[in-house]
Amino acid sequence: MSAILEVRRVTRRFAGLVAVNDVSFALAPGEILGLIGPNGAGKTTVISLISGTLAPSDGEVLFGGTSINHLPAYRRARLGIGRTFQIMRPFPGLSVLDNVAVGALFGHGGGHRRLAEARERARASLDFVGLGSHVEQRADALGGPGRKRLELAKALAMQPKLLLCDEVMAGLNHVEIEEVIEVIRKVRAEGISVLVIEHVIKAIKSLSDRLLVLHHGEMIAEGTPDAVLSDPAVVQAYLGKKRQ
Amino acid sequence: MKTLRIVSIVIAAALLAAVPWFGSDVLVQFGINALLLAVLAQGWNIIGGYTGYASFGNSVFYGLGSYGVAIAMVQWNLPFGVGMAFGVLLAVVFALLLGLPVLRLRGHYFAIATLALSQVMAAIVSNIGIAGQNIGLVLPPLNNDRLFYELALLLLAAATLTVWWLTRSRFGFGLIAIRENEEGAAVMGVNTTLYKVLAFALSGVFSALAGGIHAYWITFLDPESAFDISLNVKMIIMAVFGGAGTVLGPVVGALSLSAVSELLASEVTSIAGLFFGLVIVAAVVLMPRGLADMIRRLRGFGWRYFIENIRASRL
Amino acid sequence: MELLAQILANGILLGGLYAVMALGLALVWGVLNIVNLAHGAFIMLGAYAAWHLYTYLGIDPFLGLPLTALLLFVLGYALQRGLLNLVVRAPMFNTLLITFGLEVVLTYLAQLAFSADFRTINPPYAGSNVQFGGVVLPLVRLAAFGVAIVLTVGMWLFLLHTRLGRAIRATAQNLLAARLYGVEPRHLYAVTFGLGLALAGAAGALYGTVSQINPYIGASLTAKSFAIAIIGGLDNPLGVIVGGLFLGIVESLTTLYIGPTFADVASFGILVLVLIVRPGGLLGKTA
Repeated sequence: MSAILEVRRVTRRFAGLVAVNDVSFALAPGEILGLIGPNGAGKTTVISLISGTLAPSDGEVLFGGTSINHLPAYRRARLGIGRTFQIMRPFPGLSVLDNVAVGALFGHGGGHRRLAEARERARASLDFVGLGSHVEQRADALGGPGRKRLELAKALAMQPKLLLCDEVMAGLNHVEIEEVIEVIRKVRAEGISVLVIEHVIKAIKSLSDRLLVLHHGEMIAEGTPDAVLSDPAVVQAYLGKKRQ
Repeated sequence: MKTLRIVSIVIAAALLAAVPWFGSDVLVQFGINALLLAVLAQGWNIIGGYTGYASFGNSVFYGLGSYGVAIAMVQWNLPFGVGMAFGVLLAVVFALLLGLPVLRLRGHYFAIATLALSQVMAAIVSNIGIAGQNIGLVLPPLNNDRLFYELALLLLAAATLTVWWLTRSRFGFGLIAIRENEEGAAVMGVNTTLYKVLAFALSGVFSALAGGIHAYWITFLDPESAFDISLNVKMIIMAVFGGAGTVLGPVVGALSLSAVSELLASEVTSIAGLFFGLVIVAAVVLMPRGLADMIRRLRGFGWRYFIENIRASRL
Repeated sequence: MELLAQILANGILLGGLYAVMALGLALVWGVLNIVNLAHGAFIMLGAYAAWHLYTYLGIDPFLGLPLTALLLFVLGYALQRGLLNLVVRAPMFNTLLITFGLEVVLTYLAQLAFSADFRTINPPYAGSNVQFGGVVLPLVRLAAFGVAIVLTVGMWLFLLHTRLGRAIRATAQNLLAARLYGVEPRHLYAVTFGLGLALAGAAGALYGTVSQINPYIGASLTAKSFAIAIIGGLDNPLGVIVGGLFLGIVESLTTLYIGPTFADVASFGILVLVLIVRPGGLLGKTA
C-alpha cells in the first residue's frame, strides 16, 4: 500500500537555527500517526512544511506519490491536505457556521461553488465534531474547547484526505480529551489519514497506530506507542517533564 | 424584519433619485459630489473593508478614470462611454501590474506603498504630453446636472449591490477569510494572491468610473485635482466612520460626513476643517467600528458601548 | 565636475536635515509601533515655536533648540498619555486614522493662530557661506547638517546604551515583562512619544532656518519622513541617516539632471521600489 504522505529528508533552517533536520517518515492511508516531542522540537514546523505554510530548505514532501514541494498552501489544500492551528485563530467576525463554510467553499478539489451547499456541508461538519448547537454564534464567543472543535470542523469541511492536527487537546479536561479522541477515530473511520501532534501522552498513546518522536528538530524514535515510550532515548528527552 | 429593511432602502433610494426634481441647483451639485465620494468609499470598502488591505492609493484609480475619459474625448474624439471603458481598462491594468508586488506587503507597509504610488502617479502624469501635462485638459461641456446626478446614483447603486453580492458569494467569503486570517485562509484553499489582486482591481474599477463621471461633469482636470491625494483619506474616513466591512456603512458615512462638512463650511469656513478633524479623532476613540456597529450595539449597551471600546483598546 | 560636486554637497546637507526630520517618526514607529501621520504637522509646530522664540525673545534657533525640543516633548507626552494611549492596543489602522485626524486639527489650528503667511527664521548669519574645496556650503545648512548628525547619533547611543533607552526598547517588545519589572508602560510610551515629538520639533527649528514655514507644510513633510524612514529601515536608528542622505542626494541629482518636478517622482518611486524589493529598508534585515 503506497503511502499517502511521505516526508523525505526534510530540513528547514531559519537564519542560523535548524528547526527541522533531515526528517523522514511516511504515513499510510487510513493511519493515525502521532508526533510527539518536547517543546520547541520542531513539530509545528513539520506540519507547516507539509501544509505549505513553509517551504523546506532541503528535502521533499510527497502527497499521494507526487512531490508537492513547489505547491503553495492553497493548492495543497485543494489536493486534500487539511490542518488545524495550534494557536487557534478563527475568523472572528464570522459566525461559527460561516467559519466552517470557508473550508467547504475552498477545500478539496476547490470546494463548493454555492454558499448554500457550503453551509450545508459546514453544518454536517459541525455536527460531526459536536458543535451542532453552536452554529449561529460568533466564532470568537466560543470558549477554548469549543474553538478546538471549530478548528477541526473547519479542516473537516474541506473534505481532506489527510488531516494534520496541531495540539487539539491542549488545555482540555479528561472528558473533553476523550471526546476529541472519539472524533479523531471517527475521522479515520471516514477514510481520512491523520497526523496528530500532541503533548497529552496518554491520549496520543491510545489514539495512534504509530508514534514519531522529534527532539531538537531530529527524529529520535519511530514505532508502536509502547516501543517508543519505553525507548530510553525518548525518556531522556522528556526528562524533567511531567509524564502522564 | 428583513422586508422592512429592504423597503426602507428602496424608499431611500427613490428619494435620492428624486432630488434633482425637487432640490435646488446647489443641492444637486452637492449631491453629485457626495454620491461620487460614496462610490469611492464603497470601492475602498472592497479592498480595505472586506479584504483588510487598507489602500491609501485608490486616488490613482480615480485619476486614471478621469484621464481615461478626458484623453478619449479630447484627444481622440471618442464618446463618453468609450472614455469610461478606457478609464476602467487603465485602472485594471494598473491594479494587475502594481497590485501584485504591492499586495505582498502587510498592514501599514501596504498602506504606505499605495500612498507613495499615488504621489508618483500624480507627478508622472503632470509630465505626459497626451495628458496635457501640467496644464491639464478641457473636456467638451455638457450642462446637465440632473443626468450626472442620476449617473452617480446609478454607479453608487452598482457599487453597493456589488458589495452586497460579496457578502453572499464564494469570492466574498474568500476575501473576508483573507482579512481575518490570511494564513488560515490559504491553508483552507483560498488563492490569496489572486483574490487580493481581483479585489484591488474591482475597487479600482469603481474609483475609475467615479473619476470619469467627475471629469466630464467638471469639464476640466489637471494632475493635481485628478490624483488628489486628500481623496484617499476622505474615502477611508467616510467608509470607516460609517462602518468598513458593512454593505451600507460607506454610503451612510459618506453622505453624512459630506452633509456635516457642507453645513459647517457654509457657517464658518476655517472651523469646518477643524471640526472635521476633531470628529475623526473622537470617532476613532469612541466608535472605532463605525456608525453601523454603534447603531447596532447602542440599543443594548447604552453609554457603556463607548467605555467598552476604550477599555478594549487602551494601553 | 565642479557642478556635480556642488550638487552632491547640496544633497548631503539636505540629507542631514531629512535624517533628523525622519528620526522622530522612525523612533516612535520602530519602537512603539505607532505610525504617526501627523508627524509633519509637529515639525511645522516646531518651526513656528522656533520662529516665535527668535522673533519675540531673540533666541537663536540653534541655541534655542533644546527649548523648542522641550516644548514639543511636553506636548508629545501629554498627547500620548491623554489620547494615543487610548488606542494603542486597537488595530494599527486606528492609530493611522487618529493621527490623521490630529494632522487635520493641527493644520487648522496653526492656520487660525498663525495665518497662512510664509515665514522664515532669519538669524544675522543666514546669508553667509563657507567655502570648502571649491564647493559653496551655506552656513545655516551646514549647521543644520551638523546638528542633525549629532541628534541622530545621540539617539542611537541613547537607545542602545542608556538605562532609559533600554527600558523603552524593552517595554515596546514585551509589555508584560516590562510591567513585571516595575516599569509603567503608559509613562514610558508617553516619554518615547514625547522624545519623538521633541526630535520633530528640533527638525522644525532647523527646517525654519533653511526653508519657508506655513501651516500646510505638514503633509508633505510627513510623506517625506515616511520615505526616509522606510528607505533607511526601521530596525536601526542609524538607518535614517542612510535614508536621509540617500534621498537628499537623489533629489539633488534629479533636480539638476532631469527636472525639479521629477524630484517627487524619484523619492516616491524609490520608496515603492524599496518596499517591494527590500521592505526592511537599505539597512534593515532582509524580509
